Amino acid sequence: MNFWWFLLLSIIKIAVVLVILLTAVAYTVLLERKVVGRIQNRWGPSRVGPFGLLQPLADGLKLFLKEDLLPTAVYKPLYILAPVIALACALTSIAVVPFGADIKFKGVDLFQIANVNIGLLVILAVTSVGVYGIALSGWSSNNKYSLLGALRSSAQLVSYELALGLSLVGVVLRAGSLNLRTIVDVQATHGALSWNIFGGFQIVAFFVYLTAAYAETNRTPFDLPEAESELTAGYHTEYSSMKFAMFFMSEYANMITVSCVATLLFLGGWSSPFGHLFPSFGPVIDAILPVFWFVAKVFFFLFVYIWVRGTLPRFRYDQLMGFGWKVLLPVAIANIVVTSLWLGFTRPL
Amino acid sequence: MSAVSYSQLVWVTLPEIALVVAALAVLACDGTVLRGAAIARRRGVAALLACVGSVAAMLLVGSGPASFHLPDGMLVMDGRTRVVQVALLVLTILTVLLSEAMLTPAAEGVAGGKTAFTHHIGEYFALLLFATVAVLFLVSTQNFLLIFLALEFLSLVLYILTGFDKQSQLSTEAALKYFLFGGISAAFLLFGISLIYGLSGSIDLSQIAVAALQPDPLWMIAIVMVVVGFGFKVAAAPFHLWAPDAYQGAPTISAGFVSSSSKVASFFIFAQVLTLGVFGAAGSGMWHGAAPGWVPVLCVVAALSLLLGNLAALVQTSLRRLLAYSAIGHAGYLLLAIIAHTPQSTSALLYYVFTYALTVLGAFGVLAALEAQGIDRIADVAGLSRRAPFLSACMLVFLLSLAGIPPLAGFFGKFWLFGTALNAAPQLGLFWLVMLAILMSVVALVYYLRVLKQIFVADVPANAGAIHSGLVTRVTLGVMAAATVVLGCDPGLLIRWVVR
Amino acid sequence: MHLVLFFIFGGFCVAGALNLLLQRHPINSALSLIVVMTSLAVLYLLLGAEFLAAVQVIVYSGAIMVLFTFVIMLLNAQREERTHGSRAAYILGFPGAAALFALLTFIFISNGKSLGFAVLGPDMVSTSQLSSVLFRDLLLPFEVTSVLILIAILGAVALARHHEPHKDESKTQGKER
Repeated sequence: MNFWWFLLLSIIKIAVVLVILLTAVAYTVLLERKVVGRIQNRWGPSRVGPFGLLQPLADGLKLFLKEDLLPTAVYKPLYILAPVIALACALTSIAVVPFGADIKFKGVDLFQIANVNIGLLVILAVTSVGVYGIALSGWSSNNKYSLLGALRSSAQLVSYELALGLSLVGVVLRAGSLNLRTIVDVQATHGALSWNIFGGFQIVAFFVYLTAAYAETNRTPFDLPEAESELTAGYHTEYSSMKFAMFFMSEYANMITVSCVATLLFLGGWSSPFGHLFPSFGPVIDAILPVFWFVAKVFFFLFVYIWVRGTLPRFRYDQLMGFGWKVLLPVAIANIVVTSLWLGFTRPL
Repeated sequence: MSAVSYSQLVWVTLPEIALVVAALAVLACDGTVLRGAAIARRRGVAALLACVGSVAAMLLVGSGPASFHLPDGMLVMDGRTRVVQVALLVLTILTVLLSEAMLTPAAEGVAGGKTAFTHHIGEYFALLLFATVAVLFLVSTQNFLLIFLALEFLSLVLYILTGFDKQSQLSTEAALKYFLFGGISAAFLLFGISLIYGLSGSIDLSQIAVAALQPDPLWMIAIVMVVVGFGFKVAAAPFHLWAPDAYQGAPTISAGFVSSSSKVASFFIFAQVLTLGVFGAAGSGMWHGAAPGWVPVLCVVAALSLLLGNLAALVQTSLRRLLAYSAIGHAGYLLLAIIAHTPQSTSALLYYVFTYALTVLGAFGVLAALEAQGIDRIADVAGLSRRAPFLSACMLVFLLSLAGIPPLAGFFGKFWLFGTALNAAPQLGLFWLVMLAILMSVVALVYYLRVLKQIFVADVPANAGAIHSGLVTRVTLGVMAAATVVLGCDPGLLIRWVVR
Repeated sequence: MHLVLFFIFGGFCVAGALNLLLQRHPINSALSLIVVMTSLAVLYLLLGAEFLAAVQVIVYSGAIMVLFTFVIMLLNAQREERTHGSRAAYILGFPGAAALFALLTFIFISNGKSLGFAVLGPDMVSTSQLSSVLFRDLLLPFEVTSVLILIAILGAVALARHHEPHKDESKTQGKER
């Protein structure tokens, strides 16, 4: 592997992934507005461009051109740093996500920025640092609504992170590895039948993960940190213009990451639901098709996100905490115990 | 590194497992069945369970394998370790029994009287049992990793026990001070251990002993760091600063536990580390021409402890602080035995530390029985012999034994210890230290007698009535006092066990 | 490459630690501690302990320090009031600490070669190797640690929990809170 090739291709990959991710973020917002609109029996954005397709561009432009207010009482260094932390963490974790099959060009993996042995842990680690963005923004704004939102959010994130992490252990046990590619490969043998959610009997873990992930991304029904009726806008009350946009983008980027992880861990990643049922379609299609499957699955999860938002009401705060600690956590632990017993008995060590 | 089979591991740690199970049973029982029951009932059940657990552990120690050696010195059992473990369990049982006095609510209308210091009965007894688990591990390992873990484990429990009296600001202050000093000293110990690991490539004491032959400066630094860490645990000057506050502020029985069980275990493992691990780097503590090594370091620490402990105790007005400073002085005597590091001196160390733990726990037990009266200053015990004759008699035995008066256990302990120290290798140059120790034990006599004079000679203050104490407390204290006398009259009873 | 990274993150680590001590606002100190923790994670990574590095970030930066900042935010802790400290600390403490530091540095530099050394290199310790050490060779210390953590929880609950209001206790209740 030539170092310069490696450098060049890595930079290109990073640029491409960033562009795609940010575009995806923008269009997820549009998708959300459209779908929620349909759920509520109205049209959603439809004026800018055909079907409102240019709406994200217009929104972006608007936010970019707005005046950047800096309230007097804020603690400036952290006030500026907080959205940066939030967005950086949201964008970083995508680096270890493999989007397609392991295809190498000049020794460089084409569909993954960095293939590390502990990919899953990297995602967990980076998202766990993302809490600071929210916590610090709320504190540094020097506003009681922001502070309350931030406190709620940090408590919620720390509580649900446990359930989230533990729900993944069953998958890791089955694969025997923390490498995301290995985890997907284990599920790729018999198409959809060997996906963790079906063949791996991780359906409980799947729902625990999904619930915890909704809480982690501050989405309905766990969106207490930004409950409008109580806290105006929560932790980003005082933010405007691009700083606000950064929080906004980080929330949707986190949604996308969560959907990617759910896809990789439970729905077999880029592997086809039909397994090896169909013959090869030639090298190019064989390389593109997995990416298609991956994107389709991620899209499905994003749709579920929005569907849930359009359907479920918000939890009360004590219900949220009680649910996290008294239901999700024990269930996740029970899942680990059962999975390891099952693996221990069925598989020789 | 080689693996140990899990079943073997369970087999050799059965006593500890029994204690943990007992502790969890205490917690579960207190939290579920006895929730809302009267305090006396909860106390009784918890104490009973704790005693059962300790006795079971004792039987398991007795019936378990007589000697084993897990890889890397992770757990090492020989005859002497067994004796120490049994002694520690006995001390736990005594502590549990003496806790009764502390947890009895004061009679109505006593001036300055205190209520039971805590409502968390189950947690309290569970913590005592967990502390015992820690000391059992501490004495049976020869691996720095487990030594450090067990020490931290023990310290953590002791911090909590020290701060257990939430009604008292002194208790909280004591716990905080203890915790801060403990944290710093743990950092020193860890630094020392990591240096030793870097120098010898091992955390197993027997492997380290092979490497620790040349006293080069890095070894000296490592040893000094380790001495700092252990010096804190055994409350030797100049690392003693937490001790007076902790002894004074902690709930009395917690202080008793800190000064007895924890001390026995810490001294034993301190001696193990120095005599097994870095045996080669002994050096010499001769007054002229000291050679570098751990002996001169310990000589300085021991001399400071002897001087500071005994001299500062002279001017104390609080009984508990007095016991704390006397504990620092006793740490000086005990260090003398470690410095001598002959097989006899180790036996003498064990004899001394056992009897010391017994008597000091007894002294704290008496104080605990007086706790309900709010007695802390020396002046408060004036005329105690008329108010509580039995407790006073017990106190007499314990204090005289601590002072080292002939027919009692403390005398023989000192005598034997000084004798073995004088018989140690002459190049260690211990003569001056032994002389200092003897001189200081004469000084010690003064402050013990001052207390006894208050108890037996001073007039009873007006409006002071008789003090009653519970039956369990009296029986326990009586047995301990009797044991102190018997062990002093016939030391052979104990010597048989501590001599290898 | 490794050496450069080591110096960069070692520098971050030391700078963060110094900043932690010098900052007067608790939240800045807490953030410096996060920098220290995260830099340590990178140093672990350089030593080939990738699992440890990730866990360091998840546990220390992601959980423990969040609780730190959480508490600081909840208490709305303000800038600390500097006391002048005791005079003994100034006269004896600082020179003493400096002398000790100098002594240690001197000895480490002059005798450093008798210490063992670790190799900085691309070889990563796999997670399965790590777990076989942790759960087989060092099983006993691992279990002891788990009991230790149980104690910590128990102690925290026992020390922090309110007394249930009790009849004979109405006098002391005010003080406990």
